[in-house]
Amino acid sequence: MLELSGVTAGYGETQVLHGVDLVVREGQFHAILGRNGAGKTTTLKTIMGLVPAKGGEIRFAGDSIAGREPYRIATLGIAYVPETRDVFGALTVEENLHLAARIGVGRAGGWSIEKVLAIFPNLAERMDNGGNQLSGGEQQMLSIGRALLMNPSLMILDEPTEGLAPIIVRQIFDKLMELKQAGLTLLLVEQNFHFALNLADEVSVFGRGQCIWTGTPDALRMDEDLHKRWIGV
Amino acid sequence: MPGGADFWITQFLNGLQFSMLLFLLSIGLTVIFGLLHFVNLAHGALYMLGAYVGVSAAAHLGGYWSALVLGPLAVMAIGIVLYLTLIKRMRRAGPMNQVLVTFGLIFVIVDIVRILWGDVALGLAEPASLSGPIQIFGVSYPAYRVFVTAVGLVVMIALSVVLNRTQIGAMIRAGVENDAMAACLGINVERLFFLVFCVGCALAGLAGVIAVPLFSATPGMGTDILIPTLIVVVIGGLGSLNGAILGSLIVGFIQTFGAVVTPGLASVLVYVLLAAVLITKPAGLLPARG
Ligand SMILES: Nc1ncnc2c1ncn2[C@@H]1O[C@H](COP(=O)(O)OP(=O)(O)OP(=O)(O)O)[C@@H](O)[C@H]1O
Ligand SMILES: [Mg+2]
Repeated sequence: MLELSGVTAGYGETQVLHGVDLVVREGQFHAILGRNGAGKTTTLKTIMGLVPAKGGEIRFAGDSIAGREPYRIATLGIAYVPETRDVFGALTVEENLHLAARIGVGRAGGWSIEKVLAIFPNLAERMDNGGNQLSGGEQQMLSIGRALLMNPSLMILDEPTEGLAPIIVRQIFDKLMELKQAGLTLLLVEQNFHFALNLADEVSVFGRGQCIWTGTPDALRMDEDLHKRWIGV
Repeated sequence: MPGGADFWITQFLNGLQFSMLLFLLSIGLTVIFGLLHFVNLAHGALYMLGAYVGVSAAAHLGGYWSALVLGPLAVMAIGIVLYLTLIKRMRRAGPMNQVLVTFGLIFVIVDIVRILWGDVALGLAEPASLSGPIQIFGVSYPAYRVFVTAVGLVVMIALSVVLNRTQIGAMIRAGVENDAMAACLGINVERLFFLVFCVGCALAGLAGVIAVPLFSATPGMGTDILIPTLIVVVIGGLGSLNGAILGSLIVGFIQTFGAVVTPGLASVLVYVLLAAVLITKPAGLLPARG
C-alpha cells in the first residue's frame, strides 16, 4: 500500500531523514516508535508532501507520490492526523467534519458524519461549538473523525495519546481497535510503548532519521538491546 | 464648532459612506493577506484602474451603469494577468520581495494611467436617477452617497453569507487559519487563493468606479486610499471579514469626524489609533487566527 525507499528530507539546510525505508501493507496497523527527534513526524510530513522529499521514492497504491502537492496526496486517499491535531478553531465542529466529508463522500469505506458521531458521541453534543472550544481529547477525536470522513485507504496518525488523560487514552485505544477490526490501514507514530505494541501488527523503530528495525510487537518486546539503544526504558 | 442635529446626521452618513468604500478595498486586501500571506501594495492602483476604466466605459458605452459592470470586470482581468505573470511566482518569495515588487507595480500602473488618460482629474456623472438629494433620518442627503453606502452593505452581507454559511466559505476560513491542514483535507488552497484574489480585484475595481462621482479619477487616488486601507487591515486583523468591517467603520468615522471636529489633528488621529492597537493587540482587533 505504502512504500518508502531511501527517502531523504529536511528543513532548509538541515537534513533530518537520512534514507528511510518503510513498508505498510494493506489492512495493517503499522506503528513507528523512536526517541524525540528521531524523525518520525518528519517522515509523516514527507509522506503527505508537507516536507519535500529530497531523494528516494515514495509509492502509494502503485503511484509515485514524492513531489506531489499535499492536496493531491490527500485526494489519492491518505488522511493525516497531525501531532498538533490541527482542528480549525475558527470553524465549528460540524464545519470541520463537512470539509473532510467533501472529498470522502461516495468513496469505499462508508464513513459518514452519522457514523463518526456514533463512535465519538462527545462530538455530537458539540457540533455547533467552535473548534477552539474543544478539550484536548475532543480535538483528537475530531481530528480522527475528520480523517475517517475522507474515507481514506491509509490513515496516518501522529502521537494520538500525547497530553491526554489516561481515561481518554483508553477510549482512543478502544476506538482504534474497532477500526482495526473494520479493516482500516493505519500508520501510527506513538511514544506510548504499550499503546503502540498492543495495537500494531508490525512495528518499526526509528533513530537518527532512519528506520533501524522492523518486526512484530512480540519480537520487539523480547529485544532488550533494541529498547535500550533506540527507545529508552 | 458647527452644531445642529442635521449637521451631525450628515457627518454620520458621510462617515458610513466612507467606511463602506474602505471596506470594499480592505476586504480584498485582508483576505489575500490572510490566505496567501501575500502583501499586495498594488491593490490601491487596481482601485484607480477601476476608476479610469469606468470613466472610459461610461464615455464610450452606456454611461454610469456600464462603468459599474465593466470597471470591476476589467480590473479582475488585469488582476488575473498580474497573478499569472507575477504574483504566483512571488508567492513564496517572502514579504520583503513582495512589498518591493508590488510597490514598483504601483509606479508602473500610475504611469500607464498617465499615458492613457493623461494627468488630469476626470469625472463621471452619477446616473440621473441618483443625482438628486433624498430625505433620510430627517436630513436632505445626496442619493448617490446613499447608493454607495448601500453597495458596501450589500457586498458586506453577501460576503458574510458566503464566508460563514457556504462550503467554499468554510474552505476559505480553513485555508486562512491553517493552509497546510486544509491541503491535507484535499483542498486546493492555491486555486482557492486565485478565486479570492479575483474577487478582491473585482471589489477594488468596483470601489474605484463608485468613488469617481464623489472624488473624480486622479492618478494619485490609488496611493491616497492605500494608506487608510492598510490601516484598516492592520487594525481589524489580517484575514478577517469582521476585522475588515470593524476596521473600516473605525477608520472611516475617525477620518470623517476628525476632519470636522479637530481639522488639524484628523490625519494624526488615525495613526495614534493604529499605534494604540499595535501596542495593545498586535494581531488586530478581530484577527482570523484566534
Ligand atoms: N520545522 C522544523 N524546522 C527545523 N527543524 C525541525 C523542524 N521540525 C523538526 N525539526 C528537527 O528535525 C528533527 C526531527 O524532528 P521530528 O519532529 O521529525 O522528530 P520526532 O521523531 O517526531 O520527535 P517527537 O517524538 O519529539 O515528536 C529534530 O531534530 C527537530 O529538531
Ligand atoms: Mg513528532
